[in-house]
Amino acid sequence: MTSQSVTAGAAQVVGGVALSPLLVGLTQQAKARLQGRRGAGPLQPYRELRRLWGKSGVDVEGTTLVYRLAPLLVAAAMGAAILLVPASSAAPGLGVGHDALALAGLLALARLAVCAAAWDTSNGFALQGASRDLTLSVFVEAALVLSLAVAALVAGTTNLPGVVAGTAGGHPWTTPALGLAAVAFALVVIAETGRQPVDNPDTHLELTMIHEGPILEFAGRDQAFLQWALAARHWLVLVLAASIFLPHPHGIWWQLALLPVSLVLLCLALAVTETLVAKMRILLVPRLIGVGAAVALLGIVTWLVDAA
Amino acid sequence: MTALIVAGLAGIVLGGVLSSLPDRIAAGLWLQAAGALALGLAGARVLYGGDDWGAPFTSELTPQAGIDGMTGFFLAMLALVACPALVFASAYLPRTRAGRITAALGAAFLLALIGVLCARDALSFLFFWELMTLVPAAIILTGTSTEAARHTVFTYVAITHLGGAGTWIALLLLAHEGAIGDATALSEGSGVQAVIAVAAIIGFGTKAGLMPMHVWLPRAHPIAPASISALMSGVMVAVAAYGLIRVLVDWLGPPPSWVGAVMLVLGGLSALGGITYALFQRDLKRLLAYSTVEHLGVVALALGACLLLRRHGADEWASFALGAALLHTLNHATFKALLFLGAGTFERATGALELDRLGGLLRRMPWSGGAFLVGALAIAGMPLLNGFASEWLTLQALLRVPAYAGVWDGTLGALALAALAGTMALAVLCFVKVIGLVLLGPPRRSACAEAVEPPAPMRWALVALAGACVVLGAVPGLLLPRLTGLAPWADPGEPPVRPGLDLPGTGNLPTLGFLVVVCGLTGLLWLARGSRRAAVSPTWASGQLVEPQLLWTSAGFSKPLRLVLEAVLRPQREIETTTSGGVVQEVSYAGRVPHLIDDRLYRPVTSGALLAASWARRLQSGRLGTYVLYLIGLVVALLLAVRIGAIG
Repeated sequence: MTSQSVTAGAAQVVGGVALSPLLVGLTQQAKARLQGRRGAGPLQPYRELRRLWGKSGVDVEGTTLVYRLAPLLVAAAMGAAILLVPASSAAPGLGVGHDALALAGLLALARLAVCAAAWDTSNGFALQGASRDLTLSVFVEAALVLSLAVAALVAGTTNLPGVVAGTAGGHPWTTPALGLAAVAFALVVIAETGRQPVDNPDTHLELTMIHEGPILEFAGRDQAFLQWALAARHWLVLVLAASIFLPHPHGIWWQLALLPVSLVLLCLALAVTETLVAKMRILLVPRLIGVGAAVALLGIVTWLVDAA
Repeated sequence: MTALIVAGLAGIVLGGVLSSLPDRIAAGLWLQAAGALALGLAGARVLYGGDDWGAPFTSELTPQAGIDGMTGFFLAMLALVACPALVFASAYLPRTRAGRITAALGAAFLLALIGVLCARDALSFLFFWELMTLVPAAIILTGTSTEAARHTVFTYVAITHLGGAGTWIALLLLAHEGAIGDATALSEGSGVQAVIAVAAIIGFGTKAGLMPMHVWLPRAHPIAPASISALMSGVMVAVAAYGLIRVLVDWLGPPPSWVGAVMLVLGGLSALGGITYALFQRDLKRLLAYSTVEHLGVVALALGACLLLRRHGADEWASFALGAALLHTLNHATFKALLFLGAGTFERATGALELDRLGGLLRRMPWSGGAFLVGALAIAGMPLLNGFASEWLTLQALLRVPAYAGVWDGTLGALALAALAGTMALAVLCFVKVIGLVLLGPPRRSACAEAVEPPAPMRWALVALAGACVVLGAVPGLLLPRLTGLAPWADPGEPPVRPGLDLPGTGNLPTLGFLVVVCGLTGLLWLARGSRRAAVSPTWASGQLVEPQLLWTSAGFSKPLRLVLEAVLRPQREIETTTSGGVVQEVSYAGRVPHLIDDRLYRPVTSGALLAASWARRLQSGRLGTYVLYLIGLVVALLLAVRIGAIG
């Protein structure tokens, strides 16, 4: 194990576990400034986590082990995904491999755990959010797999460190297939992080919410795990976006040094999008993401024609 | 080896006879299970030992039997499903005459399945194939003889026989060309090769339930007794996949690329269509039957990828794709059998399987409910369990189609990849709904609130199958090299032994690592959460009490999807409002998602056929004079034809 891979592994794990709430905080702060508010500062998510950690939980009457395990399983799946997604083209083996398509499975596991807990509480708001989330996920998963497939075809492997290395340099600028995949992946980022125009992270109204619904019944440390998992989801998709679909250098040290810059830029982009775009009608969202999947498909065709 | 096989067959035959005697039904079923186990062990020994038993394949029409690696794998799969199913049946089947006949016919069904797998010539293959179709029909009619059941059995027998003609044509043509067991006999791109491929896809595809030949499957599988449903949905469709693999991969030689493309199209259609229609079913067993269509679609996708990759020279990935198809067939057999047996348990405990009228069974039946939960998670493709391993492998194989197969086939491969990704997400939606409506929440009927665990053998069977789902999910790598080695083009050699799936050009799927990391983290977080000072509270419903009328239904949970897919699914809804004196008295609502392939494809064909039959019937008046007139007319027409020189 070289010093490179140790550093890269440390960046990946520490960043994913400890710095991911900062991404949420930065986005919220940037959004507040863009909207003419002062904002609570980028550290607000940490304060929220501390507050939730000190509170007692709630056991809903008549629930089973499914409800009690769900927040843990969600956080554990995100933890495994943090080990899976590398922060650069070097990554030590952390026991879960580094496969791009396996990531889709972990995201699905987290989604299923939350939605099963929604059924366990039989809360109408929770089930409304769950059914919407799972309906969207049909299109999100297709777009996710197809956009990662483009990157995998360009790089010749689905091994994520290999994909990061294979798309390094001028690739995202010069390969049209990757550009199309980047468009699709941008939609995946918005959907997976639950941001406008797909979902509104600031609202708790049942008419508008998707991701907030199923976690309504959790409190205390359970809620803290779920909030952290949402932040970890930001880390995962933004790191993938930065290190595959944005231009990134070849050397590992350069990659690690530039990653924070790319992440901050992406958070700003999310904040700008949230400020400019209103939330869409819920039934139109699948169309939008479906178009994203079609664009990624077009990316594969472009690559095929290019290669032929 | 021979002794093991003879003992196995004897066990099944004697068990069948014994279970037909009064008061010996349980002993007979246990004996059948022991026989199936012996045959499964023999199969596993051939798969892992590598030495074939019995005769090789022959194009002669003399009956021959033998076991090679592929047959061994399917025999082991049969045992893995049949042993729990038979043990389950020993407590499940009623001690009546109908129960005894079902048990005895079950043995005949097993023998027919084994016969198809072990047949080494066309004649005995077709004999057992027909038997395998007819015995379940007899079993269904033994259990129920209502008008609806008879109609279902008629549909089943009619469609599988119409489609089954394809199997006959394919097998007999292969025997005629001397191609059974000899991949070099057919010349590449020849007409006869094309005819055999089409006939095999229709014949075996009908039996496997590939769309659009699937219409019999969701009707016939649910009405059989649970243990037979498990064998039908777990093993019988797998035997159809076995037939497809034998013909398309082993005997056809390298087929033209359109064969692989057709498999991708049929597979994508079946996967997406199967799971979509499963979502809108109201009955649990019918939902499971539609999900069988989905999973055979996934197998067809893997098989299509295998054929295309082989065609384009990517032999290593072609054998991985074949391994994916075989592994998914096995995984599907385990969790589908588990879910069908679980459905039978719930039906026994609560009296009905309407999805909206179950609920809360996990608390009432922790063992069988817990096993059912494992099966539902596995079928939804959750990492850590077996469904995900083979679906991941299939995704990887489909991704290699664009990488190797050129623009047109590559685009099709990319579409198939998107279809499979969508299918996996739809499966999560579908089975979250099943878990929620069946196992969680409050009981929705008094029978559910009073449900109790079934007798021990039924419980053991469910738990054993759940264990198989966990083990196959943890160490698929111990099996996969054996399965990829079954490809006729694979190099013989000792494969490396690893628990996970390590494939070149991927980031690997260390299944054991996933299990350890996810379970370990969950445990750590459980400790971190500490002893809970949790307040108990009712569910929040804006300050109301959660009453039964407020509970979510199956239709409600799938409504967003129904609205999104409205243009494709064409759902029907009717709202009737009864008013009297300007006051609304009653509002009634009926909605359904029609099965478009039934309505748009089969209904016109059957009504056309009936119309033609009624025309033809007018010719048959039954009066002698009319027939004499027909004869005279024919003779005159022939004479005229000779006169004008058309014939003679």
